[in-house]
Formats: sequence, C-alpha cells, structure tokens
Amino acid sequence: MTTAEHNPGRTADVLIVGAGASGAAVAASLSEAGFDVVCIEQGHWQDSFKYPTADSDFEFKAMSSWSINPNKRRLPEDYPVNVEDSAVDPVMFNGVGGSTIMWVAHTPRLHPSDFRVKSQDGVADDWPISYEDLEPWYDLNDHVMGCSGISGDPANPPRSERPMPPIPIGRDGEMIAGAFDRLGWHWWPSDAYINSTRYGQGRDACNFCGHNMMGCYQRAKASTDLTYWPRAIDQGAELVTGARVREITTDSVGRATGVNYLDAEGNDRHRTARSVVMAANGIGTPRLMLLSDSKNHPAGLSNSSGLVGKNLMFHMFGGTFGVFPEHMDPWVGPVANIILSQEFYETDPDRGFLRGYTFQMSRGQGPGSIARGVAGHRVPWGENHHAVLERRFRNTLGLGPIGDDLPEEHNSVTLDERLTDSSGLPAPKITYRVSDNSRALLDHAITQGTKVLKEAGATEILVNPQSRETGWHLMGTARMGDDPERSVVDKNGQSHDIDNLFIVDGSVFVTGGAVNPTPTIQAIALRTADYITNNRGDLKA
Amino acid sequence: MVIKPDTYLLTAALNRVIPPVGDLPGAGGMELAEEVIKRSATDFRFQDALTRVLGALPSPNDFLALDDDGQDDALRTAESSHADAFGLWLDVVYTVYYMHPEVHQRLDWHGRSPQPEGNVMPPWDESVLGLIRKRDPFWRKA
Ligand SMILES: Cc1cc2nc3c(=O)[nH]c(=O)nc-3n(C[C@H](O)[C@H](O)[C@H](O)COP(=O)(O)OP(=O)(O)OC[C@H]3O[C@@H](n4cnc5c(N)ncnc54)[C@H](O)[C@@H]3O)c2cc1C
Ligand code: SF4
Repeated sequence: MTTAEHNPGRTADVLIVGAGASGAAVAASLSEAGFDVVCIEQGHWQDSFKYPTADSDFEFKAMSSWSINPNKRRLPEDYPVNVEDSAVDPVMFNGVGGSTIMWVAHTPRLHPSDFRVKSQDGVADDWPISYEDLEPWYDLNDHVMGCSGISGDPANPPRSERPMPPIPIGRDGEMIAGAFDRLGWHWWPSDAYINSTRYGQGRDACNFCGHNMMGCYQRAKASTDLTYWPRAIDQGAELVTGARVREITTDSVGRATGVNYLDAEGNDRHRTARSVVMAANGIGTPRLMLLSDSKNHPAGLSNSSGLVGKNLMFHMFGGTFGVFPEHMDPWVGPVANIILSQEFYETDPDRGFLRGYTFQMSRGQGPGSIARGVAGHRVPWGENHHAVLERRFRNTLGLGPIGDDLPEEHNSVTLDERLTDSSGLPAPKITYRVSDNSRALLDHAITQGTKVLKEAGATEILVNPQSRETGWHLMGTARMGDDPERSVVDKNGQSHDIDNLFIVDGSVFVTGGAVNPTPTIQAIALRTADYITNNRGDLKA
Repeated sequence: MVIKPDTYLLTAALNRVIPPVGDLPGAGGMELAEEVIKRSATDFRFQDALTRVLGALPSPNDFLALDDDGQDDALRTAESSHADAFGLWLDVVYTVYYMHPEVHQRLDWHGRSPQPEGNVMPPWDESVLGLIRKRDPFWRKA
C-alpha cells in the first residue's frame, strides 16, 4: 500500500507519531473530518502472506526474528529497552499496525469502577472521564476493528450487539467453562477482534490456525494496517514509514511545531505541523517526550508535573496451566480468545488486596514451545524428556490473570545513559517492581486458577508465580487528569502545558484496570480525535 | 564459529539431552548437530549459549570416553555453572528437534505450519451459556 503524493514541505494540520493501534484510529478519524494528516512510523508495512505462521520453522522464528520481545528480535526499527531493574520485560511490535500485528486481540472493556478507583477503594486516582463517556467510542471501535462476541455478560454493563457472533469456544473452552459453572463462578465467551465470519475489506474468517502472535495470514485478526489505515489513506492521510522521530520541535513560546526525524536512509529531516499527536505507546511516547527537552521544556516536553515516564503500569501476569489426561489438541483455535472470568474483578477486603483480576483462558501450542516451557517449566532433558513432553503436549490449557496493577511513581521509563537504538538515540530504561498488592493478587489468582483447572479435570498443575516476558500492556506514563500538577494531559488528551500537543496511547491511563487495554486505548484515541474535530478548528489550515 | 571436533561433542551431548525413543535415535543420531549450529549462527544470543555450553563440557575426546552416566554428570555440571546459557541452548536444541518431520510423525501431530491450511472452526453452540445467563448482573456501579 502506498500513500498519495504529498508535499513534504507543507505544514500538515496534524502530525501523528506512531502508526499502531491508537495512531491509526486518530489518522482515520481526523482525515475523515478533513484534517491534513501525516503520520511518521519507524517500522514498515507487513505482508500478511509472508507471516511466519506459514513457514515450517515458525517455532524457531517465534524465539528469534519474530519474538514478541524487541530485545530478542533486534530489528533496525526496534529500539532496545534496558530491563535490568525491571521485573517485567515490555513486549511490542514496531511497524504499521504497531503491536496489533502481534497482539492476541482479546478485547474486553474496562468496568465503570475502573474509572473511580480512588472514590471507591481509596487508592490511586479517579479518571477525569467515566465509562459512559467512552462508551460511544468503544462501540465505534468495535465496528471498525470488527468484534466477535455476544452481549448479555452479567459481569459488565449491557453493551450493543456485537458485529459478529462469538468465536466458538471449542471442546476445551467448554471443559473450562463447565468447571466455572460447577464452582458457581462467572465466565463468558471473550469479545475478540477476530473475525468469526468474513468482515471488513479483504478479511476472511479465522481458520483456527492456532497462532495469533506472529501476524494473521488470514487477515482474520484485526490489526490496524488492515482496519483503520486503508480508510485513513483513502481519505488522504500520509503515512511515512521507516522514519524514526527523534524529537518534537517547539517554537519560542514552547508550542509544538513538528518533528525532527531520521528517514529510511538515515537522513535528518524535519516536518512541520500545526499540532502533534503522540501515539508511540506507553514506552515510546515518554521516551520521545524526555528526548525533546529544550529551553522551554527543560525536564522534557509537557513535563511540568514531573510525571512523564512515571507510574508505568503493566498487567501483572502469572501462569497457571493444567495438564489434562485426555488430548485437547490445544493448537487448534486462537491462543487466548476463548473465555474469560471476572468473578474476582472487584475489591473484596477479605482477600487481602485491592482491586482484582480477569481470568483469561489460553491454549498450548506446538511441541517446540511446549518443550521450551509452559508457565516457565521447561521439559527436562535426559531420560524423562519424552515422557514429560508427551504428557504435556496436546493436553495443556492455561488460565492466567490480567491483574490490576496500581500506579506507583517509582515504576518508570527514563532515558538510559549508555544504551542506544540503531539511530544512536538513547534507549528507554525501565524501573519496575511488583508491589505487595499485585503479589497478593497474583497469589490469589494462582490459588483460584488451580481450583478451576482441577475442577476441570487437570491431573497436574504448572505454576509460574509471575511471568517476565509479559509486558504487553504499557500504561500510565503520561496520565490524564484535571489537575496539571498531578497529570500530563487533560481529559481530552491535550497536554496541560502545550495546547497543540495530544497524547492518545496507553500512556494516558490513570489506572490499568484488570482487562487488556487496547479497546480502551482506541476508544480514547477516537474520543480525542472527535474533540479536535469539534473544538480545535484552529488546527486546520 | 564451531569447529569440527565440537560437532562430535555436540552430537554426543544431543544424544543424552534427547535420548532415543521408539524407532527414533537420539537427537544426535538424527544428525541435528549441524542444524543446531546453523540456527545458532543466526542470533548472537544462541551462538554465545552454544559456545559457552560446549566450552563448559570436557574436551570432545574426554566426553566421548565417558559412559552415559558420566556424560549426564558432565552435562549437569555445565548446566549448574552456566544456567542461563544452558537453558537457551536447550531451547534451540528442543526447537530444532521438534521441527523434524519424523518427530511429528511419532507424536502423531500433523506437523504442518499453522497456515495456510489452518483447522476447521467448530460451530458456535449457544447452549453453553445456559447456566451463566441465569446470573443477575453483578458489575459494580460507579
Ligand atoms: C504479544 C502481544 C499480545 C497482546 N495481546 C493483546 C490483547 O489480547 N488485547 C489487548 O487489548 N492488547 C494486547 N496487546 C497490547 C496491544 O497490542 C497494545 O495495547 C496496543 O497495540 C497499543 O497501542 P499503541 O497505539 O499505544 O501502541 P503500538 O500499537 O505499540 O504502536 C506504537 C507505534 O509507534 C511507533 N513508534 C514508537 N516510537 C517511535 C518513534 N520514535 N518514531 C516513529 N515511530 C515510533 C512504533 O514503531 C509502533 O508502531 C498485546 C501486545 C503484544 C505485544
Ligand atoms: S487463530 Fe485465527 S485469528 Fe489467530 S492467527 Fe490463526 S487465523 Fe488468524
């Protein structure tokens, strides 16, 4: 796909940094509203027919050139991340579509209570917006991305009819659901941005190939290169790829004027714009804001609160896997878009921790990944190797908690003093500790998950108390709020310090909730885009 | 760069790590050492792990002179002195082994790549919701 001929010397209305989940949504919305939009993305377009799931060595690629971990993949468009002081490794994909190329596309929504954590549970902060404020954009996003699911879930407010029927939960899903039923605990088929039928332009139904995290050959999994970007480009948006933004530029009064970036050949370039929208994710965005310090912004861009890069949240994840006596053939069907349980979503003081978690069921995969380890339990080498492998392969299902990870200022993204990316720019350094609350939450989830798996018939339980390579959800590092001293952007994603700078990715989350964040990220991005359309006509030429 | 004598050492080590099973010889007997070396060369982390593990084992001649128990002991010593490298090396060895068609056959696994053929999507059966649909809404109002 190419973008239309554009004049790089012009001043665009809106310049977006990052072409992932949020950047694509903003580009489509603002180009539809008649804004002149340009997006700069450090990665490239992907060809779905070249995804490695069609290669016989896909299991090897999953641990090297197609690893979810940029520190292992190490492509020129990736930037390294210093994780020496972090209990979690952030994972992501850098390219058109961003991390939606690799995501699982499990798409629940935040609960109303997630927006009122301070009022309800006395910790963290309330969001400046509510669930009801976001609901119209959740619905819009469900339609553009394509959501399979079924309404009527008693754990959530009623929601509009899903555009497609649910992804069938399979015999294995029914087995785990049956266990939840017998325990009297909640479960529901997952909302998924995966086609259960043909939906969207050139997008087939899922063929249950079983491997979501290396791109979807069928184009059944929604990634924004397939959903929002074709619309945005049809509407005139320009997308520059292989181009790494190194700095947001500002004028003498500190307003954003555009970006300096390195093009695909490594040449230093400048693009001017009337406004800048940051969509580089919860690590890329604070990194770039810290890199953009200047006389007017000595602590980094839009950082008068000192909170840029602070309050980094992941979702704490620990593995509980059950080994079943019968064959489940768990490589059939999406890897973790099956069922969820929100029995333990809300605070119960008797449990010894605040907030809660969602259980997300997952399937095992091919024999190589099973041998390398389920829940961190590598199959032993030597005489026992074959017996253990055979017991686990075909027979392993998981139940993992997505746990609310409350914000703490010491969990942060800063600039590393030594490590640099392929362009020589300082890499981000992550400092992250698992809090006592998160630890207690994970321990609870492991106990309850074990109960469910045993009830379902598991004969062996494999536990990983806390998984490391699970920093899928990058949140909180430029939070929204009404108070400029306690937040970086306002409820519309507009910087408190710079009125033509907006942030639309997971950085703006005030708390993390206990669900996968991307529908919320995209709903926020669409809402900010509508705010710009309706209130910031001054940004249009 | 792994030199020839190390290929013998690697072959012998592979036979202990993934021993024979059924009709299949051990991973070394399946001539997977070259493939492990080739794959390791694609990524410096793997190459480094391979070099460290081989370096932590006795010389090829000494290792080959050991009986099975002695070779296992030598591998265990390398595992405890170089835990991370040994783990990564195992990951490569396992992945290479489980990419082999004869191994797939023995596991009675189709062994195909996930795409393009995929699998059959079963029908959606709404009756599974019978019980949970009866539950009253319980989300917390805000
Ligand atoms: C393996 C995996 C599984 C996941 N599963 C789920 C799931 O099931 N459900 C869910 O809700 N979420 C899931 N996620 C998370 C989800 O993918 C992210 O929440 C979402 O993509 C974030 O959107 P974003 O727009 O903030 O950033 P991204 O989608 O990460 O996009 C950011 C883009 O910015 C670009 N960029 C960064 N810095 C620069 C720069 N300096 N110059 C130019 N470009 C730059 C990057 O290259 C990237 O393309 C998963 C993620 C991964 C990695
Ligand atoms: S399981 Fe379905 S959605 Fe996932 S990669 Fe395969 S075809 Fe695509």
